Amino acid sequence: MPRLRTVALVAGAALLARGALRRRIQVSPLWPMPALEEPTSGRPRSRALRLLVTSRETVAEGVVRLRLEGRDLPRWEPGAHLDLVLPSGLVRQYSLCGDPEDTSSYTVATRLVEDGRGGSREVHEQVTEGTELEVRGPRNRFPLVEAESYVFVAGGIGITPLLPMLRSLPEHAEWRLLYAGRDRASMPFLEEVEKLGRDRVTVVEGRPDLDALEVREGAAVYCCGPEGLMASVAARFPDVRLERFAARTPAGGTSDFQVELRRSGRTLTVPADSTVLAAVRRELPDTAYSCEQGFCGTCQQRVLEGEIDHRDELLTDEERADSMLICVSRARSDRLVLDM
Amino acid sequence: MSNTQARVPLKARKVSFSWDGTPLHWVPEDPFTTHTINVLHLLLPAGERWFVHVYKQVLPYIRDERLREDVIGFIGQEAMHSQAHDEVLPHLREQGLDPTPYTAQVDWFFEKLLGDRTLPPGRARRWWLMERVALIAAIEHYTAFLGNWVLNADELDRRGADPTMLDLLRWHGAEEVEHRSVAFELFMHVDGSYRRRVRTWATAFSALVFLWQRGARFFMENDPTLIDGKASFKDFHVRGRRGLLPTAGDMLRSIPRYLSRDYHPSQEGDTEQAVAYLAASPAATAAEKRAA
Repeated sequence: MPRLRTVALVAGAALLARGALRRRIQVSPLWPMPALEEPTSGRPRSRALRLLVTSRETVAEGVVRLRLEGRDLPRWEPGAHLDLVLPSGLVRQYSLCGDPEDTSSYTVATRLVEDGRGGSREVHEQVTEGTELEVRGPRNRFPLVEAESYVFVAGGIGITPLLPMLRSLPEHAEWRLLYAGRDRASMPFLEEVEKLGRDRVTVVEGRPDLDALEVREGAAVYCCGPEGLMASVAARFPDVRLERFAARTPAGGTSDFQVELRRSGRTLTVPADSTVLAAVRRELPDTAYSCEQGFCGTCQQRVLEGEIDHRDELLTDEERADSMLICVSRARSDRLVLDM
Repeated sequence: MSNTQARVPLKARKVSFSWDGTPLHWVPEDPFTTHTINVLHLLLPAGERWFVHVYKQVLPYIRDERLREDVIGFIGQEAMHSQAHDEVLPHLREQGLDPTPYTAQVDWFFEKLLGDRTLPPGRARRWWLMERVALIAAIEHYTAFLGNWVLNADELDRRGADPTMLDLLRWHGAEEVEHRSVAFELFMHVDGSYRRRVRTWATAFSALVFLWQRGARFFMENDPTLIDGKASFKDFHVRGRRGLLPTAGDMLRSIPRYLSRDYHPSQEGDTEQAVAYLAASPAATAAEKRAA
């Protein structure tokens, strides 16, 4: 009966193995697959929210402040901004100027720009209490760094991203603010700013004298305001951190710029009326893409050098640091270097 | 349902869903059905991201302009599916059912085990790319099967299933039906070997069964509202007979169809029904409006 013995042995071994396997699974139900150390799926992304405008008030000449209410809103750090999708579909960015700890509302302020691109006019004319707005973000590309001392330069409505920074600095922190505007009536949040420390705040009507600004070694310089002010601050303090909302070129238009494809060793020009993707595809026809509207993420490419003008609705801040969607995003600098 | 169905140009739709109002058991009082379908949210974010990753590499092998256009549309749709299911995961976590232990494994499965570096460069790597293209064709046979099923699963409506979740599933299902021919045509275009088709079908089918039963057990055991949550084949069989899940019989019958030498995905599902759903889906119509 040697065959019977073999069968009995195999069956016995199989039973034992099955029992062992079951016990193993009972101890750790997800055995035996390893896990990815930094999981990719299920990471919270900034998603679109629909918020209700619950208050709209004029806080200075030509400046309205909106309070948008929701619940369990994502927290933010001083310097962060929101993307507001206006009723017409225009998307505009506004700095958050409320309390970062408040998870039930966001506050933004906007100045009416008569000859602007239409965004501020729409806010001023069409957004009222009770309007529902789609909001994306918050995102921060203007973070407050640790420094020995701080110098802030604000021009008019440019005070908005700086205000939460000033409030968040510890009592003993050393800081100065130069706040310039056309005249006091047109400068928002003036009273609150002056309350933060009269001796630290200089209010100027008209053009500020930057030479009088004392900037010590190791100080962090922040500036937000009209293009002219930011340009002169940048000329004097090359390390300045700037927050820029309007595109560098006027009236929604774009300019041409150079793109270097480092791995393929080619340089091409992206004309003002074309996209990076279209220009790249002429050189590399097998470049992957799909939606061409900045939401599917297929055309994401790594950026090695240059300043990116992100115009997509998908990437996280982390991804934005060194990559872009080439179907919609462009350059803030004259040249971009892509890893392709 | 013939080969003569009109060709639909494929495009990604920028959908977005708000999960605030969706309960944990979105098929009321039926955690097993809820969680068996929820396994989709575990597998698809990483899985469909992987489709996109593989297809980006296969673009240079395509010698047919029409197919290339289809593949490009397919890629965008799959990327949106991945994103849409991914957004359900934080919602599950908020309700006390953290999916991360499982999804981290699925991430490993697709990014490492089925990633680019599994085989050395050169011919082996090309072989591996073709193997993965064939795997995707086999998986797409099942996604089209499931898409077609969910478009016709009226029992879910009768049981009062959450409308937002149903819209996600049916928008996704309809796009799967809409683009069901692309993966198979791509495989036939770049390789098409019958032995590879059978081999990768066997791998894909086993992997799907393994991952799915495991995912359903994971959800049932970790659901904070169930004291002794278990998933069994009997539950699956019962739900299949009620029309709340696909039946085992239908799934078995779909196997010889894929392995038949005359198989073409256009024989499965109904493009017209899919397009009609997409024209009425709340998420898809909102996306259409945003794009306009």
